[in-house]
This record gives sequence, C-alpha cells and structure tokens, in this order.
Amino acid sequence: MRSRLRRSLAPAAAIAASALLLAACAGEPEPAATGPTEGGTLVYASGDAEPTCLDPHVGGNYPQALLATQFLESLVSRDADGAIVPWLAESWTVSEDALTWEFTLAEGIEFTDGTPFDAEAVKANIEHLQDPATQSSTGYLAVQKVESVEAVDETTARFTLSAPDSALLESLSQPWLAIESPTGIARGMEENCESPVGTGPFVVDSWAKQDRVTLTRNDGYASAPGDAAHDGPAFLDGIEWRFIPDSASRYAALQAGEVDVIDNVQPDVLVQAEQSEDLVELDAPRPGSSNRIELNSGKAPFDDVAVREAFIRSVNVDDAVASLFQGTAERSYSPLASVEPAAYSDDSLFSYDIDEANDLLDEAGWSEKDADGVRMKDGERLTLTFPVSTNQSIPAEVSLFEQLQAGAKEAGFDVQLDLLDLASWYSALGANEYDLVSAPYTKVGPDVLRILYHSDGIVPAPSGYFANHSQIDDPAVDALLDEASATLDEADRAALYEEAQADVLEGYYILPLYDQQNHFLLSTSVHDARALGTVSTPSFAAAWLS
Amino acid sequence: MHGTRARSVARWAARSALRAAVVLWASATLVFFITRLVPGDPAEAALGGPGSQASEEALAAVRERFGFDQPLIVQYGMAMLALLRLDLGTSYSLRQPVAQILGDTVPGTVILAVLALLLAWVLALALTLAQSRGSRVGAAVGDTVEIVASAVPHFWLGTILIAVFSTGLSWFPPVSTGTPAGLVLPVVTLAIPIAGFLAHVMRGSLDEALRSPFAVSALARGETETGLRSRHALRHAALPALGLSAWAFGYLVGGAVVVETIFARPGLGRSLLQAVTVRDVPVVTGVVLVSALVYVVLTIVTDALTRLVDPRIATEVR
Repeated sequence: MRSRLRRSLAPAAAIAASALLLAACAGEPEPAATGPTEGGTLVYASGDAEPTCLDPHVGGNYPQALLATQFLESLVSRDADGAIVPWLAESWTVSEDALTWEFTLAEGIEFTDGTPFDAEAVKANIEHLQDPATQSSTGYLAVQKVESVEAVDETTARFTLSAPDSALLESLSQPWLAIESPTGIARGMEENCESPVGTGPFVVDSWAKQDRVTLTRNDGYASAPGDAAHDGPAFLDGIEWRFIPDSASRYAALQAGEVDVIDNVQPDVLVQAEQSEDLVELDAPRPGSSNRIELNSGKAPFDDVAVREAFIRSVNVDDAVASLFQGTAERSYSPLASVEPAAYSDDSLFSYDIDEANDLLDEAGWSEKDADGVRMKDGERLTLTFPVSTNQSIPAEVSLFEQLQAGAKEAGFDVQLDLLDLASWYSALGANEYDLVSAPYTKVGPDVLRILYHSDGIVPAPSGYFANHSQIDDPAVDALLDEASATLDEADRAALYEEAQADVLEGYYILPLYDQQNHFLLSTSVHDARALGTVSTPSFAAAWLS
Repeated sequence: MHGTRARSVARWAARSALRAAVVLWASATLVFFITRLVPGDPAEAALGGPGSQASEEALAAVRERFGFDQPLIVQYGMAMLALLRLDLGTSYSLRQPVAQILGDTVPGTVILAVLALLLAWVLALALTLAQSRGSRVGAAVGDTVEIVASAVPHFWLGTILIAVFSTGLSWFPPVSTGTPAGLVLPVVTLAIPIAGFLAHVMRGSLDEALRSPFAVSALARGETETGLRSRHALRHAALPALGLSAWAFGYLVGGAVVVETIFARPGLGRSLLQAVTVRDVPVVTGVVLVSALVYVVLTIVTDALTRLVDPRIATEVR
C-alpha cells in the first residue's frame, strides 16, 4: 500500500520538479547538473516471459538473468570493453597447469539474510549448480570442468578443474552463476525460487505471479562491481518489476507514465520513440553469438558447400534488414556478437550476387527447373525446410525470413518457412528436420563458439537438444576450439578463435544477420541506469529518478 | 399437476448433474491426450526453454518427479484418479499446486467476464430497444453495427482502445493497475463483440414478437409502443439471448486469453497461455476443467432461468 501511495505522489513531485527546472532553464540554456536524488520506486515492464523460478541456478534463461541482476551478484563481472573486473572476488591467481584457481573474496560482505559471504558460500553455490536436483542447465554447463571447490580460509576459494578452461572467468561472470546465500538455498527449491537471497542492491520482497515482483533496497549494499561508478546502497527505494507481454501495451504504459522502463522494444516502437523527447533508448546487444541463420551441413542439399554459398549469395540481407528494422539493427558479418572483443568479421563473403548463386547451382548439378521454377537434381526438388520459433524470432525477424524466402526463390530455392511454437520447434531440430534455422545463443565470451561449432555439439542430449545446428564436423575447427579452450593467454586465445571463426564463415555454414537485439526504452526521469558488460542486463544499482 | 411438476424438476436435476459429470470427464480426457499428442518434451520445457540446455540428470529428475517415464495409459489413470480425489496436481513449470494457481487467477478472470457480460447485456438491450423501430434504414444500421461489433477481434479492439483512450485521451491506464479505472478498457474490449452478438439475436426475436398476435392485442388494450416493447415483447426477445449467455461466458473466458495479455492482467487466460507454451499439462487441465465447470454450471442456471421465464418448458415432456 505504501509503495502505491508513493507512486501516485511521484508524478506530482516530478511536475513540481520540472516546473522548477523550466523556471531555471528560462534564464540559462544549460542548467547545472544536479546530483542523484534519493527515493522513489522505479517501475520496470518486462516483455520477456515471466520466470517460473527467480533462482537463476534453476534452468537458467534470460528473463531470470534480467531479474537476478537486481538482487544477485557474481564473483567477477565484465566491463564495457570486455575485460573481466573484480566483483565479489577481489582477485584471483591461476596455477601453471591452469587446473587450480584461487579466488580472494571481498571481506565483510553479507547476504541480505545476514549470512556472511565467504569461501564456504562459494563452495555451496557451485555444488548447488552441480546438483542434478537443482535442475540447472545453463549454470551446470558452465561449471562442467570444475571438479571441486575448497574453502581454504574464509576469504580464499580454491577451484580445482578437470581440464584447463580459458572461459572460467567469463562463465563465472554470468548471472546464472551468481552467488546466493547458502542459508537461502538450504530452504529448499520451492522457497528459494520465490525469493532467492543475494548480496545485490535490491532484495526480493514479494512476487505476485503474472503481475509483478516487488524489490526493495538493500540498505547494507556495499559490493558494487569493479567497473561501477557508484558504490554503496541504491538511490531508489525499490523496483516494481511488472510483466506486460504485449509490445504495444508496454509502450503505451511507458507513454502514459505508468512505467519508467520497458524492455524487448520492437523496431516499430523504437522508430516511434525517436520522435519523443521524453524517452531515451538503451541499446545493449547481448553477448555470445550473433543472430544468424544456420545452414544444416549434415544432410543434402547443404552438405555441398557450393549450395550453401549459392543460398547465401541469393539473398539480399542488407536491404531486408534496412527495410524491416528501419535502422535499428546493424548488419553483422560475424559468428560472434559485436560486444565480444574476439569477434571476427568478413563481409566479403556475404555480398548479394544472384548470378553467382545461379552459376554455383548449375555447376553443382541443380540445373533443371520444375514448373514452379524450383531447381531439380536427380528428381529431387531444391526444397529447404526452415522451422522458425515464434518465441525466439520477433515479428520483424519473421518478416525478414519471408523476404529472404522470396529472394532465394529467384535462384530456384523452395524455402518452406514453418512457424512453430517452442516445443514443436525443438522437436523439429531434434529430428534433424531442418535445412535452415535461427537460434541465437547468449553467453559471455567467445567460448560460445565451442558450444555452437564443435562436433561434440552435434550429438544430441537425451532431450534431443544440441547446439551445433550447422552440424559443422571439421577436425580442424574442433582442434582450434579445443586449443582455445585450454589457452589462457588472451592474445593467443583470440588468434585461435579468429581462425575458427574464419573457418566457419568461409565454409558458408552460417549467414550472420545482426546482433541479438536487446533494446530498452527509459523515461528521461530515469538517470544512470546502465547495462552490465556481462549479459547486457540493465542494472539500477546507481539509478535515480528526477 | 404438482406431482408432475416435482417429478419433472427432479428428472431435470438428475439429467443436468449426469451431463455435467460427463462433460467434465470428457474435457479432462481430451485435454490429457491432446497435450500428450503434441510434440515436445514437457520435461525440457520445464527446465527453462530457449537458451538453456537441460542435462541428462536434470531431465531424469523432472521426469521421475512428474511421472513422465510411466506408460501413457498409466499416466492417464493416475491423472483421472487424482482428479476424482479433487487433486489437480502441481504445476510442472511453476512448482506450485494447481489449485493455488487457479485460486489466485480465477477471481481476476471472473470479475472481468462477469462485468463484461453485464456490460454486454446493457449494450445489447440498449441497441435492441433503440434500433428496432421498424424502419428499414434503422434495421440496416443496426445490423451493420451488430455484425461489425461481433466480428472485431479482441486484440485489434484492445489495441485501438488503448491508442484512443489511453495514449490519446489519457482517460484510462493502458495496463491493469489494480484499480477500477484499470478495468474499464479490458471490460469494454471483451463486452463489445458479445454485445453485438446478443443484440443481433435479441432484435431478431423482438421483431418476431412484435409481429405476433399478443402484440396486436396488447396495443388494442391501449398499451403504448414503448410499453409494448419493454413490458411484453422484450421478455420474448430476451429468451434466446439468455440461453446464449452460458455460451457467451465460455467465449469470454476464451477472449480473456487475449485481453489479459494485452492489458497485462493476471488471470486464467494468461495462465492458460503460459501453460500451453511450456506444455504444463496440470495447469492446462486445471484451467480447462474450471472453464468446463463454469460452463456447465451456467448452462444449468440459464436452463433453470429459462424454465422460470418461460413456464411452457417446465412442463414439457422431453
């Protein structure tokens, strides 16, 4: 009740404040910058699916990461330049054989339930992630090479690995591996899913399903990451985290002042918002892979590199992206997100050339055409099955695929777009019933390349899930990725990943489109919000309302 | 005469109860098999969906916990037995008892649907009385309004209402705020198509009633035109529409899926949508059963009301 009252008073205060500002502006064009104001509740409206559990150790998806960023913290973080910075761990050393990592933890930090943050807590968290009963998938995969964690003393946690892992720090920086209160974890999954306990700037107060999660300030907050400008408790009293699935309603709520921040902003809304002086955009592309179309090289017709190249040459991605995303998305020519320092691009491979596409197909034996203009070879039509998940592809992206489908038709490809719900989409992939697919993968660091392009990733998990949708099975690529995984030297590691990316691009296994789009719109009354350099989730640790 | 009446009521009650039980069982069975027939592993969906890969151990734990590893017929038997014990089970994805989820979300949807149905009736009565003046132009206009109203999709209507009354005029909040003002746009969005439909049905019967002999004799007795419409003919006109109200309520619950999503209202419709996406069979079953139950109860109630409004039916031997 109290927070609602505060909210209804806030607009009045804002009007009074802006009236003062206006009065001040009248004389001088540049008003002196005022410092942060304490208080107020920020209302965030998320278009992502409501998490089914707030503990990101369980499962581990992006909606969980968005929320967890507000109340949980990791051992390390990553700054805007892609460098790992201290967070709950102040420093770390690694042994010569790269199998032992010692983390020195920040002292005097407490979880919001009063449990001290120490090496035992770190150990408990890694064990929680590795326990099958936790049902972790993202975090579980990230700590697969961690054999054990030992609490050497209160502030020293020693990780013993089964094999060198150059991605360990990047993995640990992710919200899915955030450190939670062991006391909180011990309450059991049911309770910990409702209100996980961390060291972050906010605390989960309550969760009204389908409606909102209410977060309140952690007054004892003292553990901002190494790249934060503001240390100490948040300025906001709290955050109301609402779930508004419909894009137009979300934007209407922002315009009406019902909410202060919205996520999952679609291209059409971004273009509209550019006209508004009351809104600011935060563009925070996600790390890991770019959004790209993967060509299934594991079966005909894409087992032939010439057919893969012909498809890529036959589609005019640049024009389609420009018309459908209206300048809100920049074309990518890399397997990796542009925020990854190791990203390697080669735009020369992706120029649109329909004549070249036709020549390649003629030479590859697809020289006949049927009555519909679809190419034939030995009685087989050049049909490409393209299952599209409507959960993963936004409407603009689905339209993009439709435009590419029309373009490929010119060269004689019959692209069959199937719009599927998530479960049907997974099952189409598991049954190898696809030639084209788009499935972005969010992860901190270039190690995502190993997940997506190592031949190990073709072998399906028991659920049928696999990540190497291009089905690249190239010993040279495998060797590069394995070596990169074991190479701790940054420069050497980057060189290996660059070579692997060049192989993937030059083999025409993927058609990069753009970064994983992650746009936020903020009311101009919200100041000093930022996206973390890890998985680009917004942090309101230093935010304040005017 | 009294004996016949009582026996007729008892027979009607017994038949209604039996029919209700059959409808509920059939709904539960249908939903069980349909949710199993569609592709996809519910165990995986329960472990985070896109961007997260479930380990073998995690999947096995989920399968064992929810009995996915049992043969289908065993799972069906267990599900039906549980339902007989009124145990709706635990949500795969939310890890909460389904009864609790329904308890949390049913009130929001019921408020929405009841208000929408009331508003639909008010609008339909107003439309009917205003437009059945016998003029051909009036009838044509009425027809058009009703048909357009009953045909507009909720998602379009909702978006337009938000654009006009929220973004444009700032009269109402675009999303649910937990206040009465936040209810206005969702209720109107749900009510308009139903109102168009009810009005269409009612006006047809009203015109028919106005042409019947009793209308002429009422006028002959000195009844005014308005009096005839509101006191005599409307009762006849309302009958078919009343019978449709149970159906309309079912339609409203369906519309709630869209309206609750657009206006970000917690409710049964959103539970259903989310549950279907992740193949959360217990929640889907729970929502379907609750909807079926409401539908069955409403059918019985409207049946009873019809018997009251129209005494001819009560003594009819069926």
